[in-house]
Amino acid sequence: MDMRLCLKYSLEEEGCFLSHLDLMRLMERAFRRANLPLAFSEGFNPHPRVSFASALAVGVTSEGEYLDVQLRENIPIQEVQKRLNMALPSGIKILESIAITKRKDSLMALINMARYRVAISLVELVSQKEVDFIISRVISQTSYCVFRRSKRGERQVDIRPGLFRLEGTVKDDKLYLEMDVQAGSQGNVKPTEVVKMQRELSPAILGDNLNIHRLGLYILNNNEIKNPLEIS
Amino acid sequence: MKQLKQVLEEDILLKVTKPLRYLGNEYNAVKKDWDKVKLRTLFAFPDVYEIGMSHLGLKIIYGVVNEEPDYLMERVFSPWTDMEEELRSRGIPLFSLESLRPIADFDCIGFTLQYEMSYTNILNILDLGGIPLKASERGDEYPLIMAGGPCTCNPEPLVDFIDFFVIGEGEEVTLEIFDVMVKHREQRQGRQEKKELLKELAQIKGVYVPSCYEALYDEKGKYKGIKAKMPSIPSKIVKRVVQDIDKAYFPLKPIVPYIEIVHDRMMVEVLRGCTRGCRFCQAGMIYRPVRERSPKVLLEQGEKLSENTGHNEISLTSLSTGDYTCVESLVKEILGSFEKKNIGVSLPSLRVDSFSVDLAKEVQKVRKTGLTFAPEAGTQRLRDVINKNVTEENLMEVAEAVFGEGWIQIKLYFMLGLPTETYEDLDGIVELAHKVLSRGTKILKEKGSNRRPTLTVSVSSFVPKPHTPFQWEAQDTMEVLRDKQLYLRNKIKDRRISFKYHESNLSFLEAVFAKGGRSLGQVLLEAWKRGCRFDSWSEYFHYNIWREAFEAVGIVPEDIANVPLNYEDALPWDHIDAGVKKGFLWSERNKAYSGVTTGDCRFDSCSSCGVCQDLDVSLVLRKGE
Ligand code: SF4
Repeated sequence: MDMRLCLKYSLEEEGCFLSHLDLMRLMERAFRRANLPLAFSEGFNPHPRVSFASALAVGVTSEGEYLDVQLRENIPIQEVQKRLNMALPSGIKILESIAITKRKDSLMALINMARYRVAISLVELVSQKEVDFIISRVISQTSYCVFRRSKRGERQVDIRPGLFRLEGTVKDDKLYLEMDVQAGSQGNVKPTEVVKMQRELSPAILGDNLNIHRLGLYILNNNEIKNPLEIS
Repeated sequence: MKQLKQVLEEDILLKVTKPLRYLGNEYNAVKKDWDKVKLRTLFAFPDVYEIGMSHLGLKIIYGVVNEEPDYLMERVFSPWTDMEEELRSRGIPLFSLESLRPIADFDCIGFTLQYEMSYTNILNILDLGGIPLKASERGDEYPLIMAGGPCTCNPEPLVDFIDFFVIGEGEEVTLEIFDVMVKHREQRQGRQEKKELLKELAQIKGVYVPSCYEALYDEKGKYKGIKAKMPSIPSKIVKRVVQDIDKAYFPLKPIVPYIEIVHDRMMVEVLRGCTRGCRFCQAGMIYRPVRERSPKVLLEQGEKLSENTGHNEISLTSLSTGDYTCVESLVKEILGSFEKKNIGVSLPSLRVDSFSVDLAKEVQKVRKTGLTFAPEAGTQRLRDVINKNVTEENLMEVAEAVFGEGWIQIKLYFMLGLPTETYEDLDGIVELAHKVLSRGTKILKEKGSNRRPTLTVSVSSFVPKPHTPFQWEAQDTMEVLRDKQLYLRNKIKDRRISFKYHESNLSFLEAVFAKGGRSLGQVLLEAWKRGCRFDSWSEYFHYNIWREAFEAVGIVPEDIANVPLNYEDALPWDHIDAGVKKGFLWSERNKAYSGVTTGDCRFDSCSSCGVCQDLDVSLVLRKGE
């Protein structure tokens, strides 16, 4: 009996440098090492039935990535997670896992929001009040255009509608931004684009050093935010 | 001060290509407590990570050393040029992958010499590590620098830089060397006296310590050989060879890289050595005799490897896997046990004469990509000269089997500039290629297929190599090689044949460094100073700089590559004993010139090459097991 699972995992340390292809290879191998029988697609060139929720930019760490996987055998969920974690290299870790019972669509099709935390070095000390003021200036914009380069040339995109929430806190010599942005098949707003917006709208207090961390991927529906496990 | 790790993560790695080349931490990487071992060693591969990590020798040595609780071995590879720039501009010394320590902190660094054109990368690694390049300038406080691998069969171009060389197979001697190092230190409260230690190491069979010898020249300055400085030092260095490879260490928990490497699969070593006796082939001479692993051991190893790595492909490696006496049953069994796990089997280096239809069928189950065969020369006459015992008939049979089993692409390898070659032999290449193609077309048509076969003809240039019957030969000049390449290109008209050839400049330098002596050390240093590195990467190969380097030290490279040698001449590698005797090589050379072939000692009688007689080893075949 085949079983479908949804796994939540983190990418830390060297794990953040994995490309999407690296990750696919790595997962297949980890399942094999863990002796968890992956289901394969039919056809000339069978590939394992593993599908990822969303690609993560290289260099970004995360504690909220998701993937769906199909196994050829029914194995207790906790057992799967335990065995997989022992078979994974240090940069990646399975945090939660559940059997998919109700969800039909792929994660890729459903996910439409990502939450990031970005740490930015500060070149001068600022108070929380000043930060709040700067953030409110960003929020109050009704549009903000960035240029994106693609194979078909440059194009202009308004990212403001895709910025759902933005908060900032100052700690030590760093500004921590937390943001909810659009992600998934309808388009992605990059945290670096939001930082760019922030830079342009604030006095010169932000340094060059950026540290981007993804906190999670979500499904936003009628103002309700759910994570992939909740709807699986 | 930021820790190196932090600097890497925050400032450097996002700026360089493939940051995971530098971080280690892969699955099965070994991390040991630095303070709890007696010896800290480093395996240095003078090329990029993806190439180095594909190398079986690294896996073996890394494994065998790290199995020992008292020793640790970490890894370092040549940083790509972007990383080199970052390190140099920040003054960060090159570091190991496992513990991110400066390479100068290690007790011993071992380089592997896989191809001549990686030598500048050795100098670059040392320099990036803040280690003086010349062995004579390194005091007791620096790591000992050793080197092993196939190019040590002429180590002379590197004697200025390397403290000692290991000749032959490394899995046993490496530990003997480390034992001596540890004992030496224990007798001196942890201190090391490099000079003394090197003398002790020179006593180990297979270890060559250049500083224990002096080079001799005649009145005209012509090289006459080397002489041991002390009576206790052996006058010849005899290669190491492992008799029972079933019992030899084999790495069953190799590192599984994060990024894709060149050979991204499990490897079992089916056999070692090859006695087909091709007269240009160095591997076929220096890895003698043939020793096969038993099928039982191979199956067990494959099983373990798949448990420990999770790879979806296994490669049955060796110099010539089709020659394995139980190849068909082995392939069948491996396929049988791996097919249900969706693990593929690949057979590199299949030879024309050992390829059977049966094998083709087995391989076809898993591999749909093109197949490669190497007739090496275009006429039977020249194939007899080089002792490539392959006939046109063989090749046609193979072509039939291959196209008949559904492949539509074949690659054929040839060598240009072989001794006695004429333009008739080149015409032979063209004819052979066309014949294979038309046979393929016919077969596919008969099968009712509407696909058309394609063929790749790839020609390399002959490089005379030490310890082969052709070690005395001259290489064709670059002009002649280029003319020959052009001639072929113009003759191959069919659009379904794609023609590939190698840069002749590179083959020329390869010949120079394969055959040259110790004076080349200066050239190497000069070329590196002028910016040469990654010479085997076409985008970084600067022939004009090499020319300048030769000129600067007053060496004419043509005198090394393009001039034939006599039997009486002292060869720079005469003191290295690879087992195969010089007399045997010379008689093979003479047979070449009279077009007489020599049989394979596995199937015919022993041709007394000297290996088994002198090194106390013998052929190991597993037929019937
Ligand atoms: S000594 Fe004889 S049997 Fe041994 S490798 Fe040489 S030719 Fe073969």
